[in-house]
Amino acid sequence: MSLRGNEDEKLDALFRAYRDACPDPEASVNFMPSLWARIDSRQTFLFSFRRMANAFITAAVALSIALGVYMTIPRSTPGNLSETYIDVLAAANPLDNPDIVSPTARLELNGR
Amino acid sequence: MLVDFEVIKRAQNRDSVAFNEIVLAYRKRILGTITRLIARSEDVEDVAQEVFLRLYFSLDQLRTPEVFEPWLYRLTVNAAFDYLRKQRRRQEFRMSDLSEQQVLMADATAGSKVEHEEQTKKKVRESVDSLLGAVSEADRILLMMKEVEGLSLKELEKIYNVNENALKVRLFRARQRVLKAFGAAGKKEGLG
Repeated sequence: MSLRGNEDEKLDALFRAYRDACPDPEASVNFMPSLWARIDSRQTFLFSFRRMANAFITAAVALSIALGVYMTIPRSTPGNLSETYIDVLAAANPLDNPDIVSPTARLELNGR
Repeated sequence: MLVDFEVIKRAQNRDSVAFNEIVLAYRKRILGTITRLIARSEDVEDVAQEVFLRLYFSLDQLRTPEVFEPWLYRLTVNAAFDYLRKQRRRQEFRMSDLSEQQVLMADATAGSKVEHEEQTKKKVRESVDSLLGAVSEADRILLMMKEVEGLSLKELEKIYNVNENALKVRLFRARQRVLKAFGAAGKKEGLG
């Protein structure tokens, strides 16, 4: 009737025997209490994890706001901030400073 | 379906009474499937509890109650697969590894008919477990669901979310490997 070989049929018979050898077992009396204990334990873990995650997010948001506020506040630093780089450079090195105006003049002054 | 859609909907809203009703309705069937999938009676309840635990926390993701059973079977398959992967080929002292003389002695001590039947069943369980060692854990489960649990390709398609042809190919290859191991075991027995 079929093209299946002898081995195929034997294997099918073995699988059927296996099905009969492994009937559906009854659950023990502790099945439901243990299941609910596991559910509660997982729920407690998830709840504390969620709470920690929320606390972390709140702290991160607060830190971001604080940093934003800090960056927007104009800071009063010593010195005149309106000065340009050129102004500062000119003040540090006046025109009569031989090092800047003419480096060779310094050599002449030293006795060459 | 062993429970009404209404019960599933209530369980989705974290109704513990409805969830208990589902567990009580499907417990025996799931325990039986796991028994045949993992072939370790001492761990069956633990794996079954894992299935219902996963069900409890994933029930809200179920879109329609109509697909509840394939969903539950998928959780069962996944839990059994995780268990088998953890247990991967833990070498155990099995009846199938004993010499023929030892088997005969064991049979002789099992005097009564009931004991003899129990020994035969044990041998069948061990033979199948040993044969399924020829395929991967995933193929072992797929083959079991088809050949032992008697699920149709359509049902397997829903559980695995894979098209029928892919399942057929995979089943065919797995069965061929098991057949090869079966033939080899038969020859060995014939020689011995």
